[in-house]
Amino acid sequence: MGKTARYFRPTALLLGSALVFSVTGCGGPASSSSAEAQADDMTTSIDGQTLTYWSMWKEGEAQQKVIASAIKDFEKDTGAKVDVQWQGRSNTQKLVPALNTNNVPDLVDGAYGKLATSVGDTGQALGLGSTYDADVDGKTVSELIPEKYLKNADISDENDQPWMLPYNFSSEAFWFNKKDHPEIAANPPKTWDDFMATLKKLEKGKAAPLAADGDIGGYNSAWIINLVLRHGGPGSFKKLAADTSGEAWSSPEVLDSAKKVEEIAKSGYLISGYDASKFPAQQQKWATGKADLLLNGSWIPAETAPYASKGFDYASFQFPSVDGNPTSVRADFVGFSIPRKAEHAAAAEQLAVTLLDKKYQDQFGAKAKVLPIRTDATIAPEMQDIKDAVDETESINLAFDGVVFPGYQEKILWPNTDQLFLGKITAEEYVKKMQQDQKQYWKDNG
Amino acid sequence: MTLTPVQEVGAEPAEQPRGAPRGRKKKQESGSSIDRQRRKLLIPFVGPAFLFYTILFIVPSIGAFWISLHKWSGSGPMKFVGLKNYSQVFRDDLFLTSFGNTLLLLFVVGIAIFVIAFGLSLVLRDMMGKKIARSVIFFPHLINALVFGVLAGFIFNPGGLVNKLLEPLGVTDPPKWLAADNLFPLIMVTMVATTTGYFTTILMAGVDRIPPYFYEDCALAGATPFQRLRYVILPLTWDVFGTCAVLWTISSIKIFEIIWVFGGSSGAGLPPTETWTTAVYTYVTAFSGQSTPAYGAATASAIISLALISVLVIILRRAMRRDAVEF
Repeated sequence: MGKTARYFRPTALLLGSALVFSVTGCGGPASSSSAEAQADDMTTSIDGQTLTYWSMWKEGEAQQKVIASAIKDFEKDTGAKVDVQWQGRSNTQKLVPALNTNNVPDLVDGAYGKLATSVGDTGQALGLGSTYDADVDGKTVSELIPEKYLKNADISDENDQPWMLPYNFSSEAFWFNKKDHPEIAANPPKTWDDFMATLKKLEKGKAAPLAADGDIGGYNSAWIINLVLRHGGPGSFKKLAADTSGEAWSSPEVLDSAKKVEEIAKSGYLISGYDASKFPAQQQKWATGKADLLLNGSWIPAETAPYASKGFDYASFQFPSVDGNPTSVRADFVGFSIPRKAEHAAAAEQLAVTLLDKKYQDQFGAKAKVLPIRTDATIAPEMQDIKDAVDETESINLAFDGVVFPGYQEKILWPNTDQLFLGKITAEEYVKKMQQDQKQYWKDNG
Repeated sequence: MTLTPVQEVGAEPAEQPRGAPRGRKKKQESGSSIDRQRRKLLIPFVGPAFLFYTILFIVPSIGAFWISLHKWSGSGPMKFVGLKNYSQVFRDDLFLTSFGNTLLLLFVVGIAIFVIAFGLSLVLRDMMGKKIARSVIFFPHLINALVFGVLAGFIFNPGGLVNKLLEPLGVTDPPKWLAADNLFPLIMVTMVATTTGYFTTILMAGVDRIPPYFYEDCALAGATPFQRLRYVILPLTWDVFGTCAVLWTISSIKIFEIIWVFGGSSGAGLPPTETWTTAVYTYVTAFSGQSTPAYGAATASAIISLALISVLVIILRRAMRRDAVEF
């Protein structure tokens, strides 16, 4: 016994010390202001500095090419060096653990939802107020970004400083081929009744009126979210989701929204097999003329171009209004954030602002075919309808109306909405289920 | 498995283990100088492995347990919530569905794999060109699960291969193969198809090890094929079986990528919740990227999986414990 103890004691000591190291090393709030960058003055010379940028783009993507060319010019103009890592969309997932170390990038980019959940809402992002005062092509950044864009954007930190500087955004619409349906382009449906009438007309044609990849929860939920927003305006869906009692789901507006989704699911307008296929099977069918309309994001022209029928002429119209209420347009902002711990914050801010130069904004519009944040930038013809809608609308709503509560979409909204949109449950069952699940959710997560 | 000499196996042929190194146990007990030497070498030999194992596995596990007691979004302040994450995870219907699916994979798929693998290993033993057959069966295991996920689309989409083949046969209204409710059975079948070869290969190594004279004995004694299986093959491959069962238990509880790519996730979205396993549940809770990460709940679910594996492995080892037959 004693002998064994003698041999095991050193081992136990090793284990113990390893434990201590790990416990002290892990977790805990990010501390020390020493590492925290002082970014009040972003105009300082950054000559000779090397800033690290973790990009959401991968090499070869259209937007990556625009940013890469901007970086090249930036390096030449400022004398700074940019150590860029083209990581792809998982960059914010890699960022979260990195924030607990001292090895953080100076600059990251991502869509609103990704940045909010990794740095914005967790108080890990630097306030970027000074970038909005910066001068670009003779105007300040805040003059270049329309006020209505950021009104509902939810990007202010506790000091009322924006933690994100967007450089472009994606949106959403009903897409169709203008070549096949000039009549829709000439007179797009404006109200829900118009829309249903359009579907009825389209039903007489050869193709299915509507395509949908029913296996993507995010796409299915776009219907209910849009309908709720059409009733209550931007922020109303977030308010609904934030109701801890779940009672808000029993309101007549919400039930009406759910009933409209049920109507679509049971109408027979949806392409056959939408409930039993694998993305992107149905959007491929749509792009090859087997369906007329597709509710999807502004990335659709770029995404479907490789397999679309020859001469496909992309056009779109906005989700119709309900009961004569004003409509909003979805804008899912893509932009930069700077972690609080960034060592070269000033350089990062300068690079972020550079992307708002007309030159790169034009490239985003014309080459990458996305919606540039500047309203005066060039736009691809495919995006013109959305651009018109954005210019015309009075208000903007975020993707998923800015709902980023932990697991809410993945575990509550999507599974239940899938059932509704795939025609497995009725609107009444759906709102009841949402009410129950949401109440439990807030009990657990409140 | 402990290597002890056989006392009885129940069948005649196995009762005379020829050429077995008898009395090894005795040697271990009596050889005190060797024993001392062994103990002296414990630290230099076991130490490094133990150290790495501790740093890379045990310490992170303890860290994960620590995180599971908090509400934490991955960075920023951690809020201590005690065991709340566990009670929350256990109350979550989705976790229970995921857990149920994991158990289905473990037991239903597991049993199917072993029955088929064992059957195959018996057939392949006397087959011509068994080496080629073995490679062919093993091949699916080498292919990334991603390929099967993407293939599933080609084969089972409404306009896919299966429906195209059924069309001339007069099936105009084929089943909705990829509907959320049918996905999980499809995944289970795919798992059986891809994993059977792997275990067949291991089991065959065990079956091949059985010396041919046992079969000759069987033939002379007029044993039926079933008796041969019952009294010779099973007892002599039992330890291989046990190892395979543990391997399968561990890997089945970690099944992730095939679920991830089979439904709706070739680049966009998440697989339908009907197909989730605990591994997918854990991943979505921590890294879905669409909502604020909940590391506390995610690690709680991971710790539960770890506990499940440990308990099952211990039970399995107990249940499968036999004195290994040496021959």
